[in-house]
Amino acid sequence: MKILIADDSRVMRQIVIRTLRQAGHGGHEIVEAENGRQALELVRTEAPDLVLSDWNMPEMNGIDCLSALRASGSTVAFGFVTSEGSEEMRERAASAGAAFLIAKPFTPEAFDDALRGVI
Amino acid sequence: MTTAVHEGPGSEDVLAVAEDVWMALLGEDGMLVPRAVPTGTPFDTAAWSAATTISGGWQGVVTVELAEALARRLTVRMLALPADQTATDSDVADAVGELVNMVGGNVKSLMPGPSTLSLPAVAAGRAAFARDAALACRVDLSWLDAPVRVSVHVPLGGPR
Repeated sequence: MKILIADDSRVMRQIVIRTLRQAGHGGHEIVEAENGRQALELVRTEAPDLVLSDWNMPEMNGIDCLSALRASGSTVAFGFVTSEGSEEMRERAASAGAAFLIAKPFTPEAFDDALRGVI
Repeated sequence: MTTAVHEGPGSEDVLAVAEDVWMALLGEDGMLVPRAVPTGTPFDTAAWSAATTISGGWQGVVTVELAEALARRLTVRMLALPADQTATDSDVADAVGELVNMVGGNVKSLMPGPSTLSLPAVAAGRAAFARDAALACRVDLSWLDAPVRVSVHVPLGGPR
């Protein structure tokens, strides 16, 4: 499986990759994007099976990236990994077509729970 | 710990958020210890600071200030760098920015919405505030004997 991780923080991308491994989801091919615009392009060129995206990013944020993906007909599985885990954000994420929202700070268990539904 | 009169999150809530973030990033080594600091005392010098702004249903600025050595140690731990490697300034800026993003995002979830969280602004130095910002909450902590401060400022006269 190919997973695209979109986050403007290199530190957080590494933490997400580490947590995936700790959650028992190591061994997947990982592609990294620094913002939503780059993620949008990489979904086209790399055809990942899952996108794990931050919400707040420069250039294009995660929710706009998801909306653009869905508008273009992409049905790629998409989950947010964001510090904003309020009900309001979860509802916005779900109505835009996200499969899940993992709130930072997170645990490997939270990743496993979220990913089990889509992997 | 100090709580001012302005409406904002309580010190206990901010402390709980900071503890959750540290614990999630560092596991059992992430234990933060409250530190008694008199009101009005500037943060220890030689620090890194990061700020994020919440605007909308509630308005405020969340800052995290860290001693230089602590910021570097935390970055090394977040990046899981080998013991003989040191973090670059760019790594530290990234890590400290992510820290305030997490703390700020969780504070935002505690306050009335809907609101938006800005991208973090990171500086090597103490956080400075405009005259029209009032301290709503300040939590002084230490991690591995080095100081950490989390503050929440609101527009003067209370949240708009």
